[in-house]
Amino acid sequence: MTTRAIAIAVLLFLPLPIVIVVLSSFTSAGYLSFPIKGVSLRWYAEFLGSADWLKVLGTSALLALIGALVSTAASFAAAWAVVRHEMRFGTTYETILLTPLIFPHAAIGVIMIVTLSGLGWLGTFTGLILVHCILTIPYAYRPVVAALRKADPALEEAAASLGARPWRTFWLVSLPAVRPGLVTSLLFSFIISFDEVTVTMFLVGPFVMTLPVQVFSEVLESASPIIAAVSAALVLFTSLMVFVLDKVIGIQFFVERD
Amino acid sequence: MPRSLRIALLLAPSGLLMCVFLYGLIRLIGSSLVTDGQIDLSYYEAIFSRADYVAMLGRTLRIAAMTTFFCLLLGFPTAYYVARYRGNRNFLLLMIIFPWLVSIVVRSYGWVVILGPRGLINGFLTWTGLIERPAKLMYNDFGVILGLVHVLLPFMIIAILSVLMQIPRNLEEASMSLGGRPSYSFRTVLLPLSLPGVLTGITLVYLMATGAIVTPLLLGGLGDTMLGTEIFQEVMHFFDYPKAAALATVLLITALAVVLPIQILERWVARRLSDGGSQ
Repeated sequence: MTTRAIAIAVLLFLPLPIVIVVLSSFTSAGYLSFPIKGVSLRWYAEFLGSADWLKVLGTSALLALIGALVSTAASFAAAWAVVRHEMRFGTTYETILLTPLIFPHAAIGVIMIVTLSGLGWLGTFTGLILVHCILTIPYAYRPVVAALRKADPALEEAAASLGARPWRTFWLVSLPAVRPGLVTSLLFSFIISFDEVTVTMFLVGPFVMTLPVQVFSEVLESASPIIAAVSAALVLFTSLMVFVLDKVIGIQFFVERD
Repeated sequence: MPRSLRIALLLAPSGLLMCVFLYGLIRLIGSSLVTDGQIDLSYYEAIFSRADYVAMLGRTLRIAAMTTFFCLLLGFPTAYYVARYRGNRNFLLLMIIFPWLVSIVVRSYGWVVILGPRGLINGFLTWTGLIERPAKLMYNDFGVILGLVHVLLPFMIIAILSVLMQIPRNLEEASMSLGGRPSYSFRTVLLPLSLPGVLTGITLVYLMATGAIVTPLLLGGLGDTMLGTEIFQEVMHFFDYPKAAALATVLLITALAVVLPIQILERWVARRLSDGGSQ
Protein backbone atom coordinates (compact mmCIF):
# COMPACT_ATOMS: atom_id res chain seq x y z
CA MET A 1 0.00 0.00 0.00
CA THR A 2 2.83 2.40 0.88
CA THR A 3 4.55 1.39 -2.37
CA ARG A 4 1.46 2.42 -4.30
CA ALA A 5 1.10 5.72 -2.43
CA ILE A 6 4.76 6.64 -3.04
CA ALA A 7 4.56 5.63 -6.70
CA ILE A 8 1.43 7.67 -7.38
CA ALA A 9 2.86 10.68 -5.55
CA VAL A 10 6.08 10.41 -7.61
CA LEU A 11 4.18 10.05 -10.89
CA LEU A 12 2.29 13.25 -10.10
CA PHE A 13 5.42 15.01 -8.77
CA LEU A 14 7.49 14.46 -11.94
CA PRO A 15 5.35 16.45 -14.41
CA LEU A 16 4.34 19.09 -11.80
CA PRO A 17 6.91 21.87 -12.45
CA ILE A 18 6.53 21.40 -16.21
CA VAL A 19 2.76 21.87 -15.99
CA ILE A 20 3.26 24.94 -13.77
CA VAL A 21 5.68 26.54 -16.26
CA VAL A 22 3.31 25.95 -19.17
CA LEU A 23 0.35 27.38 -17.23
CA SER A 24 2.30 30.41 -16.02
CA SER A 25 3.27 31.30 -19.60
CA PHE A 26 -0.33 32.38 -20.28
CA THR A 27 -0.17 35.26 -17.78
CA SER A 28 -1.08 38.77 -18.86
CA ALA A 29 0.96 40.36 -16.08
CA GLY A 30 4.37 41.89 -16.68
CA TYR A 31 6.03 39.80 -13.99
CA LEU A 32 5.95 36.12 -13.24
CA SER A 33 3.64 34.84 -10.52
CA PHE A 34 1.54 31.81 -9.89
CA PRO A 35 -1.47 31.55 -9.94
CA ILE A 36 -1.46 33.85 -12.98
CA LYS A 37 -3.19 37.22 -13.16
CA GLY A 38 -5.37 37.15 -16.26
CA VAL A 39 -4.97 35.02 -19.37
CA SER A 40 -3.22 36.24 -22.51
CA LEU A 41 -0.91 35.11 -25.28
CA ARG A 42 1.19 38.30 -25.17
CA TRP A 43 4.38 36.50 -24.11
CA TYR A 44 4.08 34.07 -27.01
CA ALA A 45 3.62 37.01 -29.36
CA GLU A 46 6.69 38.62 -27.83
CA PHE A 47 8.71 35.39 -28.23
CA LEU A 48 7.69 34.84 -31.85
CA GLY A 49 8.16 38.52 -32.64
CA SER A 50 11.71 38.59 -31.30
CA ALA A 51 14.41 38.11 -33.92
CA ASP A 52 16.95 37.30 -31.17
CA TRP A 53 14.94 34.44 -29.69
CA LEU A 54 14.11 33.00 -33.13
CA LYS A 55 17.77 33.12 -34.15
CA VAL A 56 18.73 31.23 -31.00
CA LEU A 57 15.96 28.70 -31.65
CA GLY A 58 17.30 28.22 -35.17
CA THR A 59 20.86 27.71 -33.91
CA SER A 60 19.69 25.10 -31.38
CA ALA A 61 17.65 23.20 -33.97
CA LEU A 62 20.47 23.19 -36.54
CA LEU A 63 23.03 22.18 -33.92
CA ALA A 64 20.86 19.31 -32.68
CA LEU A 65 20.14 18.16 -36.24
CA ILE A 66 23.77 18.10 -37.38
CA GLY A 67 24.93 16.62 -34.06
CA ALA A 68 22.30 13.87 -34.22
CA LEU A 69 23.18 12.99 -37.83
CA VAL A 70 26.93 12.84 -37.15
CA SER A 71 26.73 10.87 -33.92
CA THR A 72 24.17 8.43 -35.32
CA ALA A 73 26.34 7.83 -38.39
CA ALA A 74 29.47 7.42 -36.23
CA SER A 75 27.59 5.06 -33.88
CA PHE A 76 26.24 3.03 -36.77
CA ALA A 77 29.74 2.59 -38.23
CA ALA A 78 31.12 1.55 -34.84
CA ALA A 79 28.21 -0.83 -34.21
CA TRP A 80 28.80 -2.37 -37.65
CA ALA A 81 32.44 -3.08 -36.77
CA VAL A 82 31.50 -4.52 -33.38
CA VAL A 83 28.54 -6.67 -34.48
CA ARG A 84 29.08 -7.57 -38.15
CA HIS A 85 32.88 -7.84 -38.10
CA GLU A 86 32.90 -9.29 -34.57
CA MET A 87 36.01 -7.24 -33.94
CA ARG A 88 38.37 -8.03 -31.07
CA PHE A 89 37.90 -5.93 -27.92
CA GLY A 90 34.41 -5.03 -29.18
CA THR A 91 33.01 -4.90 -25.62
CA THR A 92 35.93 -2.75 -24.48
CA TYR A 93 35.29 -0.36 -27.35
CA GLU A 94 31.62 -0.15 -26.39
CA THR A 95 32.63 0.74 -22.82
CA ILE A 96 34.91 3.49 -24.17
CA LEU A 97 32.04 4.96 -26.19
CA LEU A 98 29.96 5.14 -23.00
CA THR A 99 32.67 6.88 -20.89
CA PRO A 100 31.33 10.42 -21.37
CA LEU A 101 28.40 9.21 -19.24
CA ILE A 102 30.53 8.65 -16.14
CA PHE A 103 31.97 12.17 -16.09
CA PRO A 104 30.22 14.91 -14.09
CA HIS A 105 28.86 17.57 -16.42
CA ALA A 106 30.68 20.48 -14.76
CA ALA A 107 33.97 18.62 -15.36
CA ILE A 108 33.05 17.88 -19.00
CA GLY A 109 32.36 21.61 -19.40
CA VAL A 110 35.91 22.52 -18.37
CA ILE A 111 37.40 19.64 -20.39
CA MET A 112 35.62 20.98 -23.45
CA ILE A 113 36.81 24.55 -22.85
CA VAL A 114 40.37 23.21 -22.85
CA THR A 115 39.73 21.08 -25.96
CA LEU A 116 38.02 23.78 -27.99
CA SER A 117 40.49 26.50 -27.08
CA GLY A 118 43.26 24.12 -28.14
CA LEU A 119 41.52 23.74 -31.52
CA GLY A 120 40.64 27.44 -31.72
CA TRP A 121 36.92 26.60 -31.77
CA LEU A 122 35.79 28.10 -28.47
CA GLY A 123 32.59 30.11 -28.93
CA THR A 124 32.00 28.77 -32.45
CA PHE A 125 29.20 26.71 -33.95
CA THR A 126 31.69 24.08 -35.18
CA GLY A 127 32.97 23.69 -31.63
CA LEU A 128 29.46 23.13 -30.31
CA ILE A 129 28.80 20.48 -32.96
CA LEU A 130 31.96 18.60 -31.97
CA VAL A 131 31.05 18.69 -28.27
CA HIS A 132 27.44 17.70 -28.83
CA CYS A 133 28.58 14.71 -30.92
CA ILE A 134 30.76 13.51 -28.04
CA LEU A 135 27.91 14.01 -25.56
CA THR A 136 25.28 12.22 -27.66
CA ILE A 137 27.34 9.22 -28.86
CA PRO A 138 26.46 7.14 -25.75
CA TYR A 139 22.77 7.78 -26.40
CA ALA A 140 22.97 7.19 -30.16
CA TYR A 141 25.02 3.99 -29.91
CA ARG A 142 22.63 1.85 -27.85
CA PRO A 143 19.52 1.83 -30.10
CA VAL A 144 21.57 1.27 -33.24
CA VAL A 145 23.66 -1.59 -31.86
CA ALA A 146 20.52 -3.25 -30.44
CA ALA A 147 18.83 -3.05 -33.86
CA LEU A 148 21.90 -4.43 -35.59
CA ARG A 149 22.11 -7.38 -33.17
CA LYS A 150 18.46 -8.23 -33.87
CA ALA A 151 18.79 -7.98 -37.68
CA ASP A 152 19.52 -11.31 -39.36
CA PRO A 153 22.83 -11.33 -41.30
CA ALA A 154 21.47 -14.29 -43.31
CA LEU A 155 19.34 -11.82 -45.28
CA GLU A 156 22.46 -9.97 -46.37
CA GLU A 157 24.14 -13.25 -47.32
CA ALA A 158 21.04 -14.19 -49.32
CA ALA A 159 21.08 -10.88 -51.18
CA ALA A 160 24.79 -11.24 -51.88
CA SER A 161 24.43 -14.83 -53.07
CA LEU A 162 21.66 -13.69 -55.43
CA GLY A 163 24.21 -11.39 -57.01
CA ALA A 164 23.56 -8.03 -55.33
CA ARG A 165 26.64 -5.84 -55.06
CA PRO A 166 27.73 -4.90 -51.53
CA TRP A 167 26.39 -1.32 -51.73
CA ARG A 168 23.06 -2.50 -53.13
CA THR A 169 22.78 -5.09 -50.35
CA PHE A 170 23.54 -2.39 -47.82
CA TRP A 171 20.92 0.04 -49.18
CA LEU A 172 18.15 -2.44 -49.85
CA VAL A 173 18.64 -5.04 -47.11
CA SER A 174 20.87 -3.97 -44.22
CA LEU A 175 19.67 -0.39 -43.84
CA PRO A 176 15.91 -1.07 -43.84
CA ALA A 177 16.43 -3.81 -41.23
CA VAL A 178 17.89 -1.35 -38.74
CA ARG A 179 15.78 1.66 -39.69
CA PRO A 180 13.81 1.83 -36.39
CA GLY A 181 17.10 1.72 -34.47
CA LEU A 182 18.57 4.50 -36.61
CA VAL A 183 15.48 6.69 -36.24
CA THR A 184 15.53 6.14 -32.47
CA SER A 185 19.22 7.10 -32.29
CA LEU A 186 18.54 10.23 -34.32
CA LEU A 187 15.58 11.34 -32.22
CA PHE A 188 17.21 10.44 -28.91
CA SER A 189 20.45 12.28 -29.64
CA PHE A 190 18.49 15.18 -31.12
CA ILE A 191 16.57 15.61 -27.84
CA ILE A 192 19.70 15.28 -25.68
CA SER A 193 21.54 17.83 -27.80
CA PHE A 194 18.61 20.24 -28.12
CA ASP A 195 18.09 20.32 -24.33
CA GLU A 196 21.76 20.32 -23.25
CA VAL A 197 22.77 23.23 -21.00
CA THR A 198 25.37 22.38 -18.38
CA VAL A 199 28.26 21.72 -20.78
CA THR A 200 27.10 24.06 -23.57
CA MET A 201 26.95 27.15 -21.35
CA PHE A 202 30.73 27.04 -20.92
CA LEU A 203 31.23 27.09 -24.68
CA VAL A 204 28.81 29.65 -26.09
CA GLY A 205 30.03 33.12 -26.97
CA PRO A 206 28.94 36.40 -28.46
CA PHE A 207 28.51 34.78 -31.88
CA VAL A 208 26.74 31.57 -30.95
CA MET A 209 24.03 30.87 -28.37
CA THR A 210 21.60 27.99 -27.81
CA LEU A 211 18.01 28.18 -26.64
CA PRO A 212 18.31 26.41 -23.25
CA VAL A 213 21.46 28.40 -22.36
CA GLN A 214 19.68 31.63 -23.29
CA VAL A 215 16.70 30.61 -21.12
CA PHE A 216 19.07 29.83 -18.25
CA SER A 217 20.84 33.19 -18.36
CA GLU A 218 17.51 35.00 -18.63
CA VAL A 219 16.16 33.15 -15.57
CA LEU A 220 19.26 34.21 -13.61
CA GLU A 221 18.82 37.84 -14.61
CA SER A 222 15.11 38.58 -14.89
CA ALA A 223 11.66 37.27 -14.05
CA SER A 224 10.04 38.15 -17.37
CA PRO A 225 7.23 35.73 -18.28
CA ILE A 226 8.70 35.48 -21.79
CA ILE A 227 10.98 32.80 -20.30
CA ALA A 228 7.87 30.79 -19.44
CA ALA A 229 6.61 31.11 -23.02
CA VAL A 230 9.97 29.98 -24.46
CA SER A 231 10.08 27.12 -21.94
CA ALA A 232 6.56 26.09 -22.94
CA ALA A 233 7.73 25.99 -26.56
CA LEU A 234 10.63 23.73 -25.49
CA VAL A 235 8.17 21.48 -23.65
CA LEU A 236 5.88 21.31 -26.70
CA PHE A 237 8.85 20.40 -28.86
CA THR A 238 10.00 17.67 -26.47
CA SER A 239 6.48 16.20 -26.30
CA LEU A 240 6.39 16.00 -30.09
CA MET A 241 9.70 14.13 -30.09
CA VAL A 242 8.53 11.75 -27.36
CA PHE A 243 5.31 11.13 -29.32
CA VAL A 244 7.29 10.25 -32.46
CA LEU A 245 9.69 8.06 -30.43
CA ASP A 246 6.75 6.20 -28.92
CA LYS A 247 5.31 5.62 -32.43
CA VAL A 248 8.64 4.52 -33.93
CA ILE A 249 9.93 2.16 -31.28
CA GLY A 250 7.57 2.27 -28.29
CA ILE A 251 8.20 4.02 -24.99
CA GLN A 252 9.19 0.75 -23.28
CA PHE A 253 12.46 0.94 -25.27
CA PHE A 254 13.86 3.16 -22.51
CA VAL A 255 13.49 0.49 -19.83
CA GLU A 256 14.59 -2.48 -21.91
CA ARG A 257 17.97 -4.12 -21.40
CA ASP A 258 19.80 -5.67 -24.30
CA MET B 1 39.64 -4.21 -48.72
CA PRO B 2 41.28 -6.17 -45.88
CA ARG B 3 39.10 -6.76 -42.85
CA SER B 4 41.33 -4.85 -40.42
CA LEU B 5 41.39 -1.76 -42.65
CA ARG B 6 37.62 -1.90 -42.94
CA ILE B 7 37.23 -2.10 -39.15
CA ALA B 8 39.66 0.80 -38.71
CA LEU B 9 37.64 2.94 -41.14
CA LEU B 10 34.38 2.05 -39.41
CA LEU B 11 35.81 2.98 -36.00
CA ALA B 12 37.48 6.17 -37.25
CA PRO B 13 34.59 8.65 -36.74
CA SER B 14 33.62 7.55 -33.22
CA GLY B 15 37.26 6.90 -32.29
CA LEU B 16 38.21 10.41 -33.37
CA LEU B 17 35.47 11.91 -31.19
CA MET B 18 36.65 9.87 -28.19
CA CYS B 19 40.27 10.93 -28.83
CA VAL B 20 39.19 14.58 -28.78
CA PHE B 21 37.56 13.93 -25.40
CA LEU B 22 40.67 12.15 -24.11
CA TYR B 23 42.90 15.00 -25.39
CA GLY B 24 40.80 17.51 -23.42
CA LEU B 25 40.88 15.33 -20.31
CA ILE B 26 44.68 15.03 -20.39
CA ARG B 27 45.14 18.75 -21.06
CA LEU B 28 42.72 19.57 -18.23
CA ILE B 29 44.66 17.57 -15.68
CA GLY B 30 47.93 18.84 -17.15
CA SER B 31 46.95 22.51 -16.97
CA SER B 32 46.03 22.15 -13.31
CA LEU B 33 49.33 20.41 -12.48
CA VAL B 34 51.93 22.07 -14.68
CA THR B 35 52.95 25.74 -14.89
CA ASP B 36 55.74 26.74 -17.30
CA GLY B 37 56.93 23.16 -17.68
CA GLN B 38 57.23 22.60 -13.93
CA ILE B 39 55.02 20.50 -11.71
CA ASP B 40 53.12 23.02 -9.68
CA LEU B 41 50.61 21.97 -7.04
CA SER B 42 49.87 25.51 -5.89
CA TYR B 43 46.33 25.45 -7.25
CA TYR B 44 45.51 22.36 -5.20
CA GLU B 45 47.25 23.81 -2.15
CA ALA B 46 45.19 26.97 -2.61
CA ILE B 47 42.00 24.93 -2.77
CA PHE B 48 42.63 22.69 0.22
CA SER B 49 44.10 25.38 2.45
CA ARG B 50 41.01 27.56 2.22
CA ALA B 51 38.35 26.71 4.78
CA ASP B 52 35.51 27.96 2.57
CA TYR B 53 36.57 25.64 -0.26
CA VAL B 54 36.79 22.64 2.05
CA ALA B 55 33.33 23.52 3.39
CA MET B 56 32.05 23.79 -0.19
CA LEU B 57 33.49 20.37 -0.99
CA GLY B 58 31.75 18.94 2.07
CA ARG B 59 28.51 20.65 1.10
CA THR B 60 28.71 19.20 -2.42
CA LEU B 61 29.22 15.67 -1.10
CA ARG B 62 26.45 16.07 1.49
CA ILE B 63 23.92 17.37 -1.05
CA ALA B 64 24.88 14.69 -3.59
CA ALA B 65 24.55 11.96 -0.95
CA MET B 66 21.17 13.22 0.26
CA THR B 67 19.89 13.57 -3.30
CA THR B 68 20.97 10.00 -4.06
CA PHE B 69 19.34 8.75 -0.85
CA PHE B 70 15.98 10.40 -1.58
CA CYS B 71 16.06 9.28 -5.22
CA LEU B 72 16.53 5.69 -4.07
CA LEU B 73 13.86 6.02 -1.38
CA LEU B 74 11.29 7.30 -3.90
CA GLY B 75 12.62 5.58 -7.01
CA PHE B 76 12.59 1.97 -5.87
CA PRO B 77 8.90 1.82 -4.85
CA THR B 78 7.92 3.68 -8.03
CA ALA B 79 9.91 1.34 -10.25
CA TYR B 80 8.43 -1.66 -8.42
CA TYR B 81 4.89 -0.34 -8.80
CA VAL B 82 5.34 0.37 -12.52
CA ALA B 83 7.05 -3.00 -13.18
CA ARG B 84 4.19 -4.91 -11.52
CA TYR B 85 1.39 -2.69 -12.85
CA ARG B 86 -1.20 -4.76 -14.73
CA GLY B 87 -3.01 -1.91 -16.49
CA ASN B 88 -1.75 0.51 -19.12
CA ARG B 89 1.93 0.51 -18.22
CA ASN B 90 2.87 2.64 -21.22
CA PHE B 91 1.04 5.59 -19.73
CA LEU B 92 3.00 5.30 -16.47
CA LEU B 93 6.25 5.05 -18.45
CA LEU B 94 5.30 8.20 -20.32
CA MET B 95 4.83 10.01 -16.99
CA ILE B 96 8.47 9.14 -16.19
CA ILE B 97 10.18 9.42 -19.60
CA PHE B 98 8.56 12.66 -20.72
CA PRO B 99 9.64 14.77 -17.70
CA TRP B 100 13.08 13.14 -17.95
CA LEU B 101 13.54 14.43 -21.51
CA VAL B 102 12.36 17.98 -20.78
CA SER B 103 15.35 20.31 -20.39
CA ILE B 104 16.65 20.64 -16.81
CA VAL B 105 16.50 24.41 -17.23
CA VAL B 106 12.74 24.25 -17.74
CA ARG B 107 12.24 21.85 -14.83
CA SER B 108 14.41 23.84 -12.40
CA TYR B 109 12.67 27.02 -13.54
CA GLY B 110 9.34 25.33 -12.76
CA TRP B 111 10.51 24.92 -9.16
CA VAL B 112 11.45 28.60 -9.05
CA VAL B 113 7.86 29.38 -10.05
CA ILE B 114 6.51 27.01 -7.38
CA LEU B 115 8.87 27.89 -4.50
CA GLY B 116 9.61 31.54 -5.23
CA PRO B 117 8.39 34.46 -3.10
CA ARG B 118 5.51 35.10 -5.52
CA GLY B 119 5.13 31.43 -6.38
CA LEU B 120 2.44 28.81 -5.96
CA ILE B 121 3.11 27.76 -2.36
CA ASN B 122 3.77 31.23 -0.94
CA GLY B 123 0.82 32.62 -2.88
CA PHE B 124 -1.45 30.00 -1.39
CA LEU B 125 -0.11 30.39 2.15
CA THR B 126 -0.40 34.18 2.17
CA TRP B 127 -3.87 33.97 0.59
CA THR B 128 -5.11 31.70 3.37
CA GLY B 129 -3.53 34.07 5.89
CA LEU B 130 -1.39 31.32 7.39
CA ILE B 131 1.72 33.44 6.90
CA GLU B 132 2.12 37.18 6.44
CA ARG B 133 5.40 37.32 4.57
CA PRO B 134 6.54 34.78 1.94
CA ALA B 135 8.47 31.87 3.45
CA LYS B 136 12.01 31.20 2.23
CA LEU B 137 11.53 27.93 0.36
CA MET B 138 14.46 28.28 -2.01
CA TYR B 139 17.98 29.76 -1.94
CA ASN B 140 18.73 27.11 0.68
CA ASP B 141 19.66 23.41 0.82
CA PHE B 142 16.00 22.40 0.84
CA GLY B 143 15.36 24.01 -2.54
CA VAL B 144 18.54 22.58 -4.08
CA ILE B 145 17.90 19.02 -2.87
CA LEU B 146 14.22 19.15 -3.92
CA GLY B 147 15.19 20.38 -7.38
CA LEU B 148 18.01 17.84 -7.79
CA VAL B 149 15.80 14.96 -6.62
CA HIS B 150 13.18 15.99 -9.14
CA VAL B 151 15.64 16.33 -12.00
CA LEU B 152 17.53 13.08 -11.27
CA LEU B 153 14.74 10.78 -10.02
CA PRO B 154 13.88 9.51 -13.55
CA PHE B 155 17.45 8.18 -13.94
CA MET B 156 17.03 6.12 -10.76
CA ILE B 157 13.56 4.86 -11.71
CA ILE B 158 14.64 3.91 -15.25
CA ALA B 159 17.78 2.11 -14.03
CA ILE B 160 15.84 0.03 -11.46
CA LEU B 161 12.85 -0.51 -13.73
CA SER B 162 14.94 -1.96 -16.54
CA VAL B 163 16.16 -4.66 -14.12
CA LEU B 164 12.82 -5.29 -12.41
CA MET B 165 11.06 -5.80 -15.76
CA GLN B 166 13.31 -8.80 -16.34
CA ILE B 167 12.50 -10.50 -13.04
CA PRO B 168 9.53 -12.75 -13.61
CA ARG B 169 6.59 -11.95 -11.35
CA ASN B 170 6.15 -15.63 -10.50
CA LEU B 171 9.60 -15.77 -8.87
CA GLU B 172 8.22 -13.78 -5.93
CA GLU B 173 4.96 -15.73 -6.04
CA ALA B 174 6.92 -18.98 -5.88
CA SER B 175 8.87 -17.72 -2.87
CA MET B 176 5.67 -16.71 -1.12
CA SER B 177 3.79 -19.91 -2.00
CA LEU B 178 6.67 -21.82 -0.40
CA GLY B 179 5.86 -20.00 2.82
CA GLY B 180 8.12 -16.95 2.58
CA ARG B 181 6.57 -13.80 3.97
CA PRO B 182 6.46 -10.77 1.62
CA SER B 183 9.29 -9.07 3.51
CA TYR B 184 11.34 -12.29 3.34
CA SER B 185 10.86 -12.77 -0.40
CA PHE B 186 11.65 -9.09 -0.94
CA ARG B 187 14.91 -9.46 0.98
CA THR B 188 16.00 -12.77 -0.50
CA VAL B 189 14.62 -12.65 -4.05
CA LEU B 190 13.77 -9.18 -5.28
CA LEU B 191 16.46 -7.08 -3.60
CA PRO B 192 19.50 -9.15 -4.68
CA LEU B 193 18.16 -9.50 -8.23
CA SER B 194 17.47 -5.78 -8.54
CA LEU B 195 20.85 -4.79 -7.06
CA PRO B 196 22.56 -4.15 -10.44
CA GLY B 197 19.85 -1.65 -11.35
CA VAL B 198 20.01 0.00 -7.93
CA LEU B 199 23.80 0.39 -8.24
CA THR B 200 23.52 1.87 -11.75
CA GLY B 201 20.91 4.31 -10.46
CA ILE B 202 23.05 5.34 -7.48
CA THR B 203 26.05 5.88 -9.78
CA LEU B 204 24.17 8.06 -12.26
CA VAL B 205 22.35 10.16 -9.67
CA TYR B 206 25.45 10.73 -7.52
CA LEU B 207 27.52 11.70 -10.59
CA MET B 208 24.97 14.14 -11.92
CA ALA B 209 24.35 15.64 -8.48
CA THR B 210 28.04 16.32 -7.79
CA GLY B 211 28.51 17.91 -11.21
CA ALA B 212 25.21 19.83 -11.34
CA ILE B 213 25.29 23.56 -12.04
CA VAL B 214 21.93 24.69 -13.39
CA THR B 215 19.66 23.44 -10.59
CA PRO B 216 21.91 24.55 -7.68
CA LEU B 217 22.35 28.00 -9.25
CA LEU B 218 18.64 28.56 -9.86
CA LEU B 219 17.39 27.12 -6.57
CA GLY B 220 20.41 27.71 -4.33
CA GLY B 221 21.44 31.15 -5.45
CA LEU B 222 24.99 32.45 -5.56
CA GLY B 223 25.68 32.35 -1.82
CA ASP B 224 26.21 28.73 -0.85
CA THR B 225 28.12 27.28 -3.76
CA MET B 226 28.68 23.68 -4.74
CA LEU B 227 31.68 22.38 -6.67
CA GLY B 228 29.85 22.74 -10.01
CA THR B 229 28.61 26.26 -9.39
CA GLU B 230 32.03 27.32 -8.09
CA ILE B 231 33.66 26.03 -11.30
CA PHE B 232 31.07 27.92 -13.32
CA GLN B 233 31.81 31.17 -11.48
CA GLU B 234 35.59 30.77 -11.78
CA VAL B 235 35.18 30.44 -15.55
CA MET B 236 32.38 32.89 -16.27
CA HIS B 237 33.10 35.67 -13.78
CA PHE B 238 36.78 35.46 -12.85
CA PHE B 239 38.20 33.84 -16.03
CA ASP B 240 40.54 31.85 -13.77
CA TYR B 241 40.95 28.81 -16.02
CA PRO B 242 43.78 27.02 -14.13
CA LYS B 243 41.79 27.22 -10.91
CA ALA B 244 38.67 25.98 -12.71
CA ALA B 245 40.78 23.14 -14.12
CA ALA B 246 42.03 22.23 -10.63
CA LEU B 247 38.47 22.34 -9.25
CA ALA B 248 37.23 20.22 -12.17
CA THR B 249 39.98 17.68 -11.47
CA VAL B 250 38.95 17.59 -7.79
CA LEU B 251 35.35 17.05 -8.97
CA LEU B 252 36.47 14.21 -11.27
CA ILE B 253 38.38 12.53 -8.46
CA THR B 254 35.53 12.81 -5.92
CA ALA B 255 33.07 11.48 -8.49
CA LEU B 256 35.23 8.60 -9.70
CA ALA B 257 36.26 7.68 -6.12
CA VAL B 258 32.62 6.78 -5.52
CA VAL B 259 31.61 5.61 -8.97
CA LEU B 260 34.45 3.21 -9.83
CA PRO B 261 34.07 1.03 -6.68
CA ILE B 262 30.31 0.87 -7.32
CA GLN B 263 30.93 -0.16 -10.93
CA ILE B 264 33.27 -2.92 -9.77
CA LEU B 265 30.72 -4.03 -7.16
CA GLU B 266 28.04 -4.02 -9.85
CA ARG B 267 30.10 -6.27 -12.14
CA TRP B 268 30.75 -8.60 -9.21
CA VAL B 269 27.05 -8.74 -8.30
CA ALA B 270 26.09 -9.37 -11.93
CA ARG B 271 28.62 -12.22 -12.14
CA ARG B 272 27.41 -13.73 -8.85
CA LEU B 273 23.81 -13.55 -10.10
CA SER B 274 24.56 -15.19 -13.42
CA ASP B 275 26.65 -17.91 -11.71
CA GLY B 276 23.79 -18.57 -9.31
CA GLY B 277 21.37 -18.84 -12.21
CA SER B 278 23.41 -21.44 -14.05
CA GLN B 279 23.91 -23.77 -11.12
